[in-house]
Amino acid sequence: MLPDVVVIGGGIVGCSCAYYLAREGVRVCLVEKGNLASGTSRAGQSHIVLWEEPDINLQLEKASRLLYEALAEELPFDIEYRRTGSLALVENAGDWEPFERTVHSLQARGLDCQLLTSTDLCRLEPNLAPDLAGGAYFPEDAQVNPILTTLALAQAAKNMGAEIRPFTEVTGIELSAERKVTAVDTTTGRIPTAIVVNAAGVWSAAIGTMVGLEIPVIPRRGHIIVTEPVPDNLINCKIILAAGYMQTLGATSGVAMSANIQQTHSGNLLLGSSRDFGGFDRTVRPEVIRAQLARNLRFLPALANIHVIRTYAGLRPYSPDLVPIISEGDGVKGFYIATGHEGAGITMAPITGKLISEMITSKAPTVPLEPLSLRRFSHRQEEDRLG
Amino acid sequence: MSLEPEDEVIICRCEEVSLKEILEAIAEGARTVNEVKMRTRAGMGLCQGKTCRRLVSQILAQQTGQPMGEIMPATFRPPVRPVPIGVLATGDDEG
Ligand SMILES: Cc1cc2nc3c(=O)[nH]c(=O)nc-3n(C[C@H](O)[C@H](O)[C@H](O)COP(=O)(O)OP(=O)(O)OC[C@H]3O[C@@H](n4cnc5c(N)ncnc54)[C@H](O)[C@@H]3O)c2cc1C
Repeated sequence: MLPDVVVIGGGIVGCSCAYYLAREGVRVCLVEKGNLASGTSRAGQSHIVLWEEPDINLQLEKASRLLYEALAEELPFDIEYRRTGSLALVENAGDWEPFERTVHSLQARGLDCQLLTSTDLCRLEPNLAPDLAGGAYFPEDAQVNPILTTLALAQAAKNMGAEIRPFTEVTGIELSAERKVTAVDTTTGRIPTAIVVNAAGVWSAAIGTMVGLEIPVIPRRGHIIVTEPVPDNLINCKIILAAGYMQTLGATSGVAMSANIQQTHSGNLLLGSSRDFGGFDRTVRPEVIRAQLARNLRFLPALANIHVIRTYAGLRPYSPDLVPIISEGDGVKGFYIATGHEGAGITMAPITGKLISEMITSKAPTVPLEPLSLRRFSHRQEEDRLG
Repeated sequence: MSLEPEDEVIICRCEEVSLKEILEAIAEGARTVNEVKMRTRAGMGLCQGKTCRRLVSQILAQQTGQPMGEIMPATFRPPVRPVPIGVLATGDDEG
């Protein structure tokens, strides 16, 4: 039987699209050039974050977190989802006021969060550096294992009839004279279809080129340090990050860095986080690892005696305004885009899959689609040109 | 699948992953040492696969019929020996 929809990319985003489409009774074929979760989705940390700017991201994150609650029940195996909450730390007294304003603005928009004094911090997390200015607790934040989530979404889609085709690389997309999708060409054969979803992460721009669309997504490298399993009481809250993390998102040059400590289900710590632009190069840079460790040590001195067992780098699919692209491809009928989630693709995968399925099955979208459109970039260029 | 006694053999000692779990991962589609690692945690422990990598490759070769040379080794990532963060961060490990 021919598929109604071909999803390109077996990362957490593509697998979520396949899952939510299959749930609507759509016949899906997912193609992946390597194996499932062989791209960015195996390199992520584990944070389901709810307090990103701008407001559209906050909306996506809130909706997605609710979907995770349901997925943890629905999916065929454990995805290690837990409502851990997260703790943001302010290093210097000088940074307290702007942070306090941010927290108040998030509260005003309905996000549950509490400011914490340095005394509160010492009581809650006795192993943290004693001289921090304060922080905030975000009780709605959660944690999940991104690899298991990707595999479980694919398995669930398969159980509902989707075809999952690993080791199948898309080499071209055929369009009719009216610029309608008619087929997807792959290394394992041609697949006739009227609808394709481009969920190829940092490779999504190359897929866009196949139909003449410019998708402004580029790789943004991030280094991760994995430690040996540590005692459960080293940190009580399993996600602790420097409040300055949110500022590193906007950096455009050099290596932007911030402490980001997450303890996984298995007890290991994943220490982040850095951001730099270096093309598709995933080579680990020792000087970045050193600086990143020093940043994390500053907030959690108790790390000094803990052993590092592994380091690696992954590539975040960066979109220029840090908002994902969940959109139709303008001027190409049947071409949909789900990419550009940067450092929040694990968080936003469920809502992305749901929105794509709503678009394809002509249902009302859970979240407004206009701010997520590909068109916003051409409008922007137009405005720049007009001055 | 009937459980053979030898399936309980531990292949990855750091993470206590049994032969049975590795066979299941291959049955689910894992084709490389890395993919077995992602599904089972074999090779993710303290020794980072120094002990089990070879065994996992052999099991993969045997189950999938791929020649050993084609099975990608699990990526080796620094550090090769666990190093305390206090030492790494200050660069004292060099020399
Ligand atoms: C260091 C780091 C830490 C992170 N931490 C977090 C976190 O704590 N929380 C969070 O929410 N997010 C986090 N992220 C972000 C998150 O990991 C990504 O946003 C997310 O994994 C992107 O998923 P994806 O499915 O779009 O991409 P991918 O997982 O890369 O999937 C795309 C897939 O498309 C395939 N593909 C490409 N080209 C083709 C082709 N021609 N034919 C067929 N298939 C093709 C690729 O092989 C790949 O598997 C982190 C990222 C990094 C790098």
